[in-house]
Amino acid sequence: MLKKTKIAIDYCKCGDGKGVDPRDCCICLRRCKPAVFLLHQTLGVTEEDPYNPSKWRVTPQWPSLCTHCMNCVNECPQNAIKIT
Amino acid sequence: MCDLCMKHGAGGKWYLNAKHYSNEVVEHYGLQDFLMEQYKNFEQVSMRKVHGFNAEGLDYKLRIPIIGRIIKNVAGNMLHSTKPPKDPFKPEGHIGQVVPLEDAIAILEECAAEPIIEKNCMCRYMSRGEKEACCINFGVMSDIIEKLPRFIPEKDKFHLTRKEAIARFTEHNKKGYIGTIWFGPFPYINNLCSCANPECAGIRPRFDFGIMSIHKAEYVIQLDKNICDGCGNCILKCPFDAIKKGEPHSNTIKIDIDKCYGCGVCRHACLQEALILCPRDLIPQVCGKY
Repeated sequence: MLKKTKIAIDYCKCGDGKGVDPRDCCICLRRCKPAVFLLHQTLGVTEEDPYNPSKWRVTPQWPSLCTHCMNCVNECPQNAIKIT
Repeated sequence: MCDLCMKHGAGGKWYLNAKHYSNEVVEHYGLQDFLMEQYKNFEQVSMRKVHGFNAEGLDYKLRIPIIGRIIKNVAGNMLHSTKPPKDPFKPEGHIGQVVPLEDAIAILEECAAEPIIEKNCMCRYMSRGEKEACCINFGVMSDIIEKLPRFIPEKDKFHLTRKEAIARFTEHNKKGYIGTIWFGPFPYINNLCSCANPECAGIRPRFDFGIMSIHKAEYVIQLDKNICDGCGNCILKCPFDAIKKGEPHSNTIKIDIDKCYGCGVCRHACLQEALILCPRDLIPQVCGKY
């Protein structure tokens, strides 16, 4: 059985307008060699301004490619990422 | 020739068929509004559900033996769709091919419709948070991009002449970025990208998961063993891990042409000019394997 890597981002600390705008930081995106994370507009934005800072977040889209280097966990200024 | 050339090439390569770049195609399929809607919400598209499959965590599903195969087929068929595009939130008919420098120059010189602009690459922005102007757009697409400020590079000039566009593409290619040309959506060609692996959202599904999101180039790299001095610069430059060190003490390198996408980027690293691009059809081992 394949052991799955679970990457959890605490959106209270990063993104969705509650904490930090992920577009200003992007440290996890840059430090991840296999580019596991994806920065994107949250879903359901149609009528409103899609560039509204409260509507962006980082999602770990390809967790199976994670190499467990832990760069993102160690360097996230908000301590928002957990990998298990 | 690949299946795209057979069907849409009019006897040549599909991306050198000027018909696909014309404004008539845009009018016939009503693509102006479609593209505006799609690019307004571009970053969402990759996170939306596709045929009921959630994009988040899809990678583990792709690794399940039978289910994975079904998802790959469904995704491949959607990308290869030749029906008139309907839903701007789905990447229908968005299929591309790797192009080496020579073919990209031919596209920019002879086929690309004016106006030509460069825009911030969205794949790089989504995967790295960096804004780098390495995509080149043509025709109607250029007008659409002008209305979306986040795509416009932060410099004075982003409208390019054909010569400037070639110079920009060459610059990216020498840096190691892979040239790709895209139907977006079928049958309109409006995008000549230069991006890297794993940032490119078109190459990643193919390279890491085997989804047919992009075709390999019409070419494949060949080595002139008499000239190669085995310096190994090309090994670092190859974005697809197709070049390895040769046998110990042999002073040469080994190319796995089954892995070669034919981007031709490795040639820029070779001081001896020992790497040559050959048409894929002439090499029996990879003939017809796109």
